[in-house]
Amino acid sequence: MMGSGDIITPLVMGILLGGLYALIALGLSMVFGVMRLINLAHGDLVILGSYGGYALMTLLGLDPIVGLVISIPLMFLLGFAIQKYLMGRAFGISSEAPLIIAFGISLVLQNANQILWTPLSRALNTSYSNLSFSIGLRQFPLTYLLDFTAGIIVMLALRAFLIHTYLGKAITAASQDKKAAQLMGINTKRVYGYAFAIAMISAAIAGVFLGMTFPFTPTSGVSFLTIAFGTVIIGGLGSMLGTFIGGIILGIVQTLGGYFFGPASQMLIVYVIVLVVLAIRPQGLFGR
Amino acid sequence: MKLKATRSKLTLIPLAALILVLALLPLIGAPQSWLLYAFLFFIYLAMANMWNLLAGYSGLISLCQPAFLGLAGYTLAIGTWVGLPWWAGLLGGATVAALFALLISVPVFRLSGIYFAIGTLVVPEALRMVFYLWRPVGGQMQGAGAGYMIKGTGGVSTHLIYWLAFVLGIGSIFLMKRVLKSKLGLGLAAIRDNERTAASCGVSVFKLKLYTFIIAALVTGLSGAVYYLYQGYIEPSATFNVRWTMTLLLATVIGGIRTEEGPFIGTIVVVFLYFLLARYAGYSLLIQGMILIGLMLLSPQGIVGMLRRSRYYRYLAQCVST
Repeated sequence: MMGSGDIITPLVMGILLGGLYALIALGLSMVFGVMRLINLAHGDLVILGSYGGYALMTLLGLDPIVGLVISIPLMFLLGFAIQKYLMGRAFGISSEAPLIIAFGISLVLQNANQILWTPLSRALNTSYSNLSFSIGLRQFPLTYLLDFTAGIIVMLALRAFLIHTYLGKAITAASQDKKAAQLMGINTKRVYGYAFAIAMISAAIAGVFLGMTFPFTPTSGVSFLTIAFGTVIIGGLGSMLGTFIGGIILGIVQTLGGYFFGPASQMLIVYVIVLVVLAIRPQGLFGR
Repeated sequence: MKLKATRSKLTLIPLAALILVLALLPLIGAPQSWLLYAFLFFIYLAMANMWNLLAGYSGLISLCQPAFLGLAGYTLAIGTWVGLPWWAGLLGGATVAALFALLISVPVFRLSGIYFAIGTLVVPEALRMVFYLWRPVGGQMQGAGAGYMIKGTGGVSTHLIYWLAFVLGIGSIFLMKRVLKSKLGLGLAAIRDNERTAASCGVSVFKLKLYTFIIAALVTGLSGAVYYLYQGYIEPSATFNVRWTMTLLLATVIGGIRTEEGPFIGTIVVVFLYFLLARYAGYSLLIQGMILIGLMLLSPQGIVGMLRRSRYYRYLAQCVST
């Protein structure tokens, strides 16, 4: 992939990888947009989704994507419970309390995963893991295409949900002006619960596709959290389409960075770009 | 009145005795493991005090403390490779950390509140990549990553390193007292109560926050350099690691954020848990995470918040502060 004169390959890889990044970041963006909470545990919740897929695959022999039928409702309930019993209370305490609680959740999840699954690196290997598809003469891994497709589907589904359903409109209203939403008879506590739970659904899906693309360990959450932050920062907070475009940009920056400066420095370039965007346009490229 | 003064002096005696015992710990033949835990206590205490100054008193939820301690550690390590004496490495490391704080203040001080936290979280991640790739001295990589041995510290006894940490840990308590009573501390208190009112009364919000950021970077850097002097080896992935941030945050929040004695009490808990569960590293952090969540919900002011409800503790605290 590296070193040859062909720039198309890293470009396509970057776009496809960006779909995965967007998928990981959508839940973070949703929670931030609605509750103004940086969910520091998001990366670990995504990895929890990966381990969920792994457990269903090894114990029940389910395909990871089929396994989502079981893991999505579980993650939905978990998200609702976290918001109701932990975050919801934390908001009443102080401005940094939710952040610290999220840190605590991250710590608990990481170490619970470590105890349950050992620190060994795991992967969701399926019959189609090593297949590839071709554009012209160039070969690309099939999992990357699946990632990208899943990213688009989840993004469009979330967008449609926020625009067309009553609950989605209520979530949007609560994120724009909490007090006005309450005066209009919206139960913001319930709405926050649903928003967090829906973010968890996207984390469950992201976890499965992440696990099919890269090997993961109990501590992988931190690095994917940073990537998700970068995506959300570049795309602007709370906007689903912006987050998706942010993911694509980040993916392209990474693969082109690797193409021009060598694979070792690709993540460094991503972080530098994130810091530059933060300094110049803290609300993100597509934020208002 | 006079009687009260003598009584309060009497209550200070156990505290002074404890500090004396800690200072003499290496000389009275304490086991090596005790020395290690006391050493860790002092290093964490100095860093937690600085995090409390930033997050508790200045509203700067900094998640980039590993950057300061790591840069100072690397300055020390690289310094010993080019023939600098170790003490120059310590001072140089602290200076580099402070200068780096000044440098990154340009982008991150444009951000406020939660955005500041996100911006600072990225910094150690980027630095880890830099130190994976950049190897200024010493030629080829050795083993995994770009680690450095800290050379020529044969003449530095472990007792000396212990006392350095002791001075830093105890010194950071007095530094906090000094800063909070100074004009800087008063300005920070005004900003915390109401930033706009403070600004309109002539408090330079930006400058005061920058000063605390640099002070915190300096002390965190110095503590980091002493830590790596003890460790004798530095490598990027454990250095620029979110674990450090977690330790400081845990110590401060468990003890009581925005209280002067919070980091002291919190650091005791963190080191004690570390000691108690040394063989089960995973369980130790799992339990710390649970304590963090539980404590935050039940007593947002940490252990100090709970203790302050008892009259005896208030009396004791009064004696110590007078």
